Amino acid sequence: MLPDLHEIRTADNVGIGYDPAGIGSRFLAFGVDTLVQGVVVIAALVVALALAPAGIAGTLAIALFLLVPLLVSVGYFAVAEALTAGRTPGKRALGLRVIRLDGGAPGLREALVRNIVRIIDLALGIGVVVMFFDRRSRRLGDLAAGTVVVREHRAPTAAAPPGLPPPILRTPDAGPAIDGVEHLGNAEWGALRTFLSRPGMAPDQRARLAAVIAERLCERLGLAPGAPERQWPPELLLERLYLQLLPRMAPAPPGHGMPV
Amino acid sequence: MTPEQFAARRQAGWAELESHLAQARRGALRSVPAADLQRFGVLYRHAASDLAIARRDFAGQPVTEYLNGLCGRAHPLIYRGRPVRPSALPRFYASVLPRAVRAAGPYVAASLALSVAGVLAGWLAVRLRPDLAATLIPDSLFDRMARGEVSGGIGDAPVAASLIIGNNVKVALLCFCGGVLLGIPTALTLLANGWVLGTLASSIHRDGIDYRFWAYIVPHGVIELSVIVLAGATGLMLGDAILRPGLLSRGDALIAVALRAVVLCVGVASLLVVAGLLEGFVSPSDLPTPAKYAIGAGSGVLLYSWLLLGGRTRRAAAPRLQLDAGG
Repeated sequence: MLPDLHEIRTADNVGIGYDPAGIGSRFLAFGVDTLVQGVVVIAALVVALALAPAGIAGTLAIALFLLVPLLVSVGYFAVAEALTAGRTPGKRALGLRVIRLDGGAPGLREALVRNIVRIIDLALGIGVVVMFFDRRSRRLGDLAAGTVVVREHRAPTAAAPPGLPPPILRTPDAGPAIDGVEHLGNAEWGALRTFLSRPGMAPDQRARLAAVIAERLCERLGLAPGAPERQWPPELLLERLYLQLLPRMAPAPPGHGMPV
Repeated sequence: MTPEQFAARRQAGWAELESHLAQARRGALRSVPAADLQRFGVLYRHAASDLAIARRDFAGQPVTEYLNGLCGRAHPLIYRGRPVRPSALPRFYASVLPRAVRAAGPYVAASLALSVAGVLAGWLAVRLRPDLAATLIPDSLFDRMARGEVSGGIGDAPVAASLIIGNNVKVALLCFCGGVLLGIPTALTLLANGWVLGTLASSIHRDGIDYRFWAYIVPHGVIELSVIVLAGATGLMLGDAILRPGLLSRGDALIAVALRAVVLCVGVASLLVVAGLLEGFVSPSDLPTPAKYAIGAGSGVLLYSWLLLGGRTRRAAAPRLQLDAGG
């Protein structure tokens, strides 16, 4: 797990990892949001000018228009973040979202704090400097509000199930039983599965990588230096280990997970 | 169990959760029918327990990353702050805001002391070096007042009011966010604000009390200066939370106090609309001077009786154990 991942704990004490967004994507999101703000201000200007010629009403229209940039610059981010659970149009466009440190969506208070402190963050570029030194790229507003900007996972959908391509096996059978195979578990099996599923590796690279993995696995198996398995080609050893572990992994243990 | 078997067995629930997530598109569960909400919670808990299994058995596999993302998107929908309803506004102004002001008492006193120090410094500076008055006063207002131009019509009053409101709101918000830099910008803002008033008043009063000057300040000044002092208090609260965090870490103390103080800051900043309207329409108007004083005094009585009395209950509340930082 990456050290700068932001991990939260759910009520059931399950860890969910979030990937903090970096300065670049956040800057771009800020740009998009600034464009949206600009459109709002220009629309207000057009409306104010359309009303302007009518005497005292025109003065009032201009006076109200003068309030628009203030309302937009102060209120846009706070209101947008509070209403959209931390996904302003700019952040949505860049696949970002604001969360509280505990993983919840920011409320109006958090949104107000982080966006009022934006004034200081933008002044003299203090915010960028703070983001540069913070492990999770938080600016002062995030530090005061207790929020983090994270990447929204654009994961594969459940309809196209996440998984690895089928393993590439060249050995016809599992071969003779390997001593100590019972010492291997999920982790080793996962590594074997990942290695064997990797397509398109150059043959000599594949052989070299297989030798490294085989060496480690032989240690874990507790094979004696003269054991016959050590004489097998590493790739054959890995394939046979995979096949011998498969029956143990494949049948679902009873009571594993609740029915939905 | 292989990751594929695991995914195949549990996939239906994940897909259903995905469809609920897509339905709650605007980031809220509001658009999800009530009947589906309970189902959403069940599906989320199952996905979370699947994630726990996947983390144990399939660390680093795509299915684990997928589940992490799925839970990561569902979690903020379920765990979130109380939604804000416009119907809460009357209660906010009736009791929440006055209580917050009173709870910030010591910080209000400190903020007031800084403002008064600024006024005294400005006053003394002009007194001691009258020759430098023109450079000490940072506001061109002085010139306009000296030429007797402050009493204009109200032709451009709406525009002036807008500009004044905008400027004052910015000052109030700056006071708040200066708190994250230990309150130093906040203190400087308060001192500078007092300095302007002090130098102006000192210059005007070299030849005795000028009631016209105060007639220009008082109608809006009571509310405006009170708001700046209160906004300054919020910034000092943040700075104090960082410097004296109590039992919490400095970061956590700052968060706890900031989320409390921001309500106070935004609440009092909204009063600047009233102050701005008075400053745009009443202060420069041709109303007789006594009327202007009466308006200023009236605004003060209303403001302080509201802030000091609003939200008080008959019974004294039982003392509560306070674990958070600050006042």
